[in-house]
Parts: sequence; C-alpha cells; structure tokens
Amino acid sequence: MKLLRKGAEADIYLTMWDNSQAILKVRNVKKYRNPILDAKIRKQRTIKESQTISLVKSFGISTPLVYYVNLKKSSIIMQEIPGKPVHDLPNSKIIELSKEIGKIVGVMHKNGVMHGDLTTSNFIYYKNKIYVIDFGLSQNTIKSEDHAVDLRLIKEILNSAHAQIMEHSWKNFLIGYKSIVGLANYTKITNLVSVIESRGRYATVI
Amino acid sequence: MIGLGIESTAHTFSCAILEKNGNKGKILSDVRKIYRPPDGEGIHPREASRHHLEFSPKVLSQCLQEAKIKINELDIISYSAGPGLGPCLRVGAVVARSLASFYNIPIYPVNHALGHIELGKLLTGAKNPLVLLVSGGHTMILAFLNKQWRVFGETLDITLGQILDQFGRSIGFASPCGKNIEDLALSSSNYILLPYSVKGNDVSFSGLLSATKAIVSKSKADACFSLQETAFAMISEVVERALAFTGKKELLIVGGVAANKRLSEMLQKVCKRHTCKFFIAPAKYAGDCGSQICWTGLLESKVKQGVSLKDTFVTQSWRLDSVIVNY
Repeated sequence: MKLLRKGAEADIYLTMWDNSQAILKVRNVKKYRNPILDAKIRKQRTIKESQTISLVKSFGISTPLVYYVNLKKSSIIMQEIPGKPVHDLPNSKIIELSKEIGKIVGVMHKNGVMHGDLTTSNFIYYKNKIYVIDFGLSQNTIKSEDHAVDLRLIKEILNSAHAQIMEHSWKNFLIGYKSIVGLANYTKITNLVSVIESRGRYATVI
Repeated sequence: MIGLGIESTAHTFSCAILEKNGNKGKILSDVRKIYRPPDGEGIHPREASRHHLEFSPKVLSQCLQEAKIKINELDIISYSAGPGLGPCLRVGAVVARSLASFYNIPIYPVNHALGHIELGKLLTGAKNPLVLLVSGGHTMILAFLNKQWRVFGETLDITLGQILDQFGRSIGFASPCGKNIEDLALSSSNYILLPYSVKGNDVSFSGLLSATKAIVSKSKADACFSLQETAFAMISEVVERALAFTGKKELLIVGGVAANKRLSEMLQKVCKRHTCKFFIAPAKYAGDCGSQICWTGLLESKVKQGVSLKDTFVTQSWRLDSVIVNY
C-alpha cells in the first residue's frame, strides 16, 4: 500500500476496494500519548467520522462514500476523491470558492452538525465540486455557540495561512453562509464569533 | 552595538546586557529577581510591583557589573511594554525612561511575547520555525508570514501555565507551580480519564481544570500525572495539526512551560513523526528574562529609531499578531 500523506491525526494510504482505488485512513497509535487516552480518542473519532460523513451526505453535501470501518484498528476505507485541497489552489480560486464553502458550512449548521476542523485542507475541489472530508472532530449540535466556534476556526485559518486574501475570502464565505442560515441566525452567530474572539488572550479590551 | 533590556511583565524583574554584531548576539549578563507569593497564592500585582521596585537598583547595578559595561556605553535601552500586569510593567518602564532621559539613550518598547520568540531563535539557531509559545500568559502556535507572526492555534480560555498554576495552588503549591507538579507526577502512572478539549487547532483548558480539582481528593500524584498527560496531549495534537497544515520543518518551543521535560519529550516524538527539527529554548532562557527584551530591541534598532519619551507606553493587552516586524 502506498502512503499518500501523513496527516496530523491519521495516515492516509491508497488501497483497493472492490476493484477500484480507495483511501485507507488509519488512526495509528500515538506513542507520545497515554495509552488509555490514546485508545479512547482514536476509537471515538473513527466512529464519529464514519457516522457524520454519511449523515451530511443526506443533506446534499458531497463527501466520500464510506466502504468499511474497522474499529479495532481505528481505520476507515472510503472513496478516493482525486482532486486538490482548496488550500493548494491559486488565491483567486480560493476567493471564488469561499462563497460555496460558506454555503456548505451553512447547510451543515442548519442541519445540526458542527464540523469541528474547518481548515482549507479539508475541502477537496474535484470536477467543479467541493467535497468535505475529516469529520473526526464533528459534533451533533444546534447550539449557536458551537457553530460560532466553527466559523472562528476557518476565520483563524484564513487570517494565518491565507493572510493576503483574508478579507475577500472571508467576505465571500459570509455571503454564502448567510444565504443558507438566514439573516437572524447569521447575525446571532457572527456576534458570537466576536464574543469568542474577545475572550482570546490579550484581545483589545474596550 | 550594546543594549540593555528590562523585563517586568509578571513575577520576574530582570535586566540583561547583550552585544550585537551583525546577526550574532552575545549575552553579556542576565540578572533576575523573582517575586514569590506565599504558598497557595498567586501573583498579587501590587505586591509584585513593590518587589520589583525594591530590587530594581540592585538587579540593574549587578547586571552592569557582570557585563563590565558603564551606563554611558549603552547604545539602546529596551523594556517590555506588554502584555502583562499593569503595575509590574510600569516599574520596568519607569526604570527604562529614567535611564534613557538622564543619559540620553534611545529607548524601545518591546512586545514581551515577541521577545520569547526572538531570543529562542537566537539561542537555538532555528531559521523558519513553527513556534509553540507556552507560558503563564500565552498558549499559542505561530508561524511567520508577510511581516507578522500569524496565529495558527491558541487557547480559547486559560493558558497552559495558568492551568498548572491554578491547580498547583489549589493543592498548596506557590506559583509558579510547574516544577512541583512535574515532580509529583513522576511518582504516579495511574491515568484517570479527564476532559480532552481540542477544537480544530485551538484548545480549551477550563473544563480540564475543574475536573482535575474534582479528582484530587483520591490522590494528588494521580491528579498531577493525569493533568499533565491530558493537557500536554492536547498541546501535542494541535502542534501536530499545525505542522501538518503548514508543512514547516522546524518546531521551536519557548516560554516558561518549555522547561517541562514531559512536554518536550512528547513534542520531540511529534517532530520525529513529521521528520521535523526540534528546537527548545535552553531552560535558563525559556522563561521571562531581560535578554529576550534586549535582543528584540537590538533587532528593532536596525530599522527603527527609538521612540521619544512622550510616546513610551505600557499596555496590559497587546496581542503578538498585531506587531509588524520589519527587520
């Protein structure tokens, strides 16, 4: 099996499933972590990821198909999406796609799902469609505060990894997001984002 | 070029003299006096500032003596202007202003957090690292991009230093408690599951603090061990996430908690997994010290004149990611 990527949480291999290429995602033992804690985290996230990946598909969001889950090994075999992570696309394309990403996040939140790890590496662009991956940190929640945590994270990523296009891309994200969740929710959640930011260390106290 | 740096953000009052030649820096002296609150108590800002006031002349003259430098030989003076405790910051600023105005030496206000990073880079030789800043005031993962340090992850509530200190005080230690907790944790290997809260690249420690306080009645050692294991695993995970996301090949750890051996052991393993070089500030210079302020001031003096006395300031809130770095 070919190792495609050493992610933070899991190793990604290229494998075969039913005569076609597939992805094997293994949450390997982390030796630096206490074994009891490590086992709990790996099992919990494998279950959560396989559940949510299929759940959000029912909302009309594109995600890889799950073929097989092995809880003993904390591994998932899923459909391969051969596209590119949005993170690696040219700036102009990221700005353009931000609106669509905002819509996708809006649909998840509207249906009570928080992704939990909204980075530009977790959106894959393939054949003019955006696929969402990496649901290990997702939660089923309708709390606005949780949804705001999601928004804050993507804002933080745009502000750090994509600092040059932060303004445009964040604006587009919000346009897309608002068009799905509606003005009332949008206002409430974006206000909560400011509240979370103001809790940050040494944020300007007014 | 010779500079004097004055640090007084929290419990430490320190003066240091460094000599800068091109990009090389040499620490000529670094003298500190640390305020110790009574057991079970935290830093009282007023008491700490009194302590700093009382010891500032001694620390300053010892620092000059050790470096064999006279005040009129100094090219610049820098002081930590924030973030930190107001009363403490003011002491350092007053000392710096007095010297600068009497001897007519250029003066530089320095961001304390930036100081940790710059000194860490100087002492370890890291070139383009992902930085983990862990102290009583900060828990941040940063990378440099386009003239600013950008935050890739941070704590959403209290810092790693705070959770160790607040828990330590609740079982009777005096701040800073990191060392006591580390020692006590060594005597246990009984892990009790505690809340683990990673939100994307960010962490949250407040739930962990309450839960650890709730299990302490059974065994203090188990609680210390489990607290360290859980909190450090959270930090290691977000560091791993940031390494994978940014693709950086160097990790630099700075700040007071960098002195913890278990934390650096875990992060070393993380680096091994990602074939990334591991740098850690030497224990003596990981925590607050005058050298960090002095070196950052010297770097800034390359591109900036000092500020005029009326524009010198201190501020309790000053986020590192708002500082523009031009040198």
